[in-house]
Amino acid sequence: MNLVFLRRIITTSIGRKLIMAVTGLLLVGFVSFHLMSNLVLLNGQEAYNTYVEHLTGVPFLLFIELGLLSLFLTHILMGIYVRWEDYRNSPSGYKKRNWQGGRTIGSATMLYSAVTILIFLVYHIITFRLSDHSIGFYEMVTNAFRDPIFATIYVLGGLAMVLHLSHGVQSIFQTLGINHQKYTPFIKLGGWIIALTMAAFALLPLIFLFGLESHFMGMLH
Amino acid sequence: MSDIMKNFSVTINVWRQNSASDKGSMVSYPVNDVSPAMSFLEMLDVLNEDLIKKGDSPIVVESDCREGICGCCGLVIDGNTHGPDKNSTVCQLHMRRFKDGDVITVEPWRVKSFPVIKDLAVDRSAMENIMQAGGYVSVNTGAAPDANAVLINRADAEESMDAAACIGCGACITACPNGAAMLFTAAKISQLALLPQGHPERKERAINMVEAMDKEGFGNCTNEYECEAVCPKEIKVSNIARMNREFLIANFLSNK
Ligand code: HEM
Ligand code: SF4
Ligand code: FES
Repeated sequence: MNLVFLRRIITTSIGRKLIMAVTGLLLVGFVSFHLMSNLVLLNGQEAYNTYVEHLTGVPFLLFIELGLLSLFLTHILMGIYVRWEDYRNSPSGYKKRNWQGGRTIGSATMLYSAVTILIFLVYHIITFRLSDHSIGFYEMVTNAFRDPIFATIYVLGGLAMVLHLSHGVQSIFQTLGINHQKYTPFIKLGGWIIALTMAAFALLPLIFLFGLESHFMGMLH
Repeated sequence: MSDIMKNFSVTINVWRQNSASDKGSMVSYPVNDVSPAMSFLEMLDVLNEDLIKKGDSPIVVESDCREGICGCCGLVIDGNTHGPDKNSTVCQLHMRRFKDGDVITVEPWRVKSFPVIKDLAVDRSAMENIMQAGGYVSVNTGAAPDANAVLINRADAEESMDAAACIGCGACITACPNGAAMLFTAAKISQLALLPQGHPERKERAINMVEAMDKEGFGNCTNEYECEAVCPKEIKVSNIARMNREFLIANFLSNK
């Protein structure tokens, strides 16, 4: 068996980028689905609780969750490794250095947005996944959203997602070798649209914090 | 004579380092009687004449063609790779871009894989090693082949020529926040991948050059696109996408 093609994916720079891009793409798929699920909150207690019961009732849930966990872990650990390597190799010691317009706010803050998402993620899993669900999902989530500190962490997490994906989405395409003068402008635009959609993660807690949920009730049917 | 053509004085704040193992530091020198028509390198020549007369050692700075085609020169001036002008090498920079009293910071390429030889000259052998790993085509020597024996469509030839414009200066690596050599390597892989002459060795070239690039200790690309912004030859990052494609296809779809 010749496994050199697998070894190259782990040991070469382009291979590692491929891992970042593929896990990133799958994570974009996951968070998009997660966001749609969150929006069901706006349809009220009954709708949300029924929805979550369906969702958590799927067979092999544990395997799906483990798959998701390994997806996150691969992305995070490879991200940290690649960045550590870059940190060692990057040009340093300049007395003066100006960026020339290639970088964007999103790309220059990739590591900071990543760390923010990571902190958010750990907090999110502790408070919602490993917590006591007995009062009902809707109650648990909306009570949490009405807590200003909790809401703040969510808003920061959501905004970090906007930043991370403002660079990340178009970056996936470039890494996978898709760059074309006809399509790249649309890919970049699409990347921003997906990124800005992530602001909804930040908006939901604010809606509940300020008690505005009744205005949205029934809007999403 | 118009005011614009008057000679002026500047202060050069330049990196001095005796050898790769020396720590190095910034040293300031006044340069008087600078003509706006001088190139930046000519201004350094004038300063060096002065230093030699004073018994000081001249600032070592690399250049060859001084017309933007050889890739020898390369400095970071006031924090700008290849100086303040876009799409231009340092040798094409003129003193008319500066004014009287300017303090100009001059630094070498500070890339980990480019050790300083002396002052502003760095050792770019790492780029040569990438080339040696596959940046060529193997041809049979013998009688010259008929020029029209291999037909190449115009668009491919143009795209290949665009990639072949890379002069191997290393600015893209210097400018990259990660010290990645992707734009350079991508240009060298692309110029051959686009031509039929490059096809027989296409797959091993992609793999070997990428592996050589990693071996030299260059960073990983995070698609910051700073390389494209500083490249004097306007090499596009679409070449990096092509290199990724070449590498992934060679890795997954061939028996290499
Ligand atoms: C949980 C914490 C996370 C960490 C620590 C993390 C870390 C990183 C790092 C270090 C990079 C590479 C930086 C760069 O290319 O400049 C990256 C890229 C990326 N991340 Fe994340 N990330 C996290 C979460 C996420 C999530 C939740 C998503 C998707 C919704 C995501 C999507 C992406 C994408 C699409 C890329 C670009 C991949 C590419 O360049 O091809 N990341 N991430
Ligand atoms: S790609 Fe541009 S910046 Fe990089 S080595 Fe070639 S000419 Fe210089
Ligand atoms: S000296 Fe040849 S490109 Fe500048």
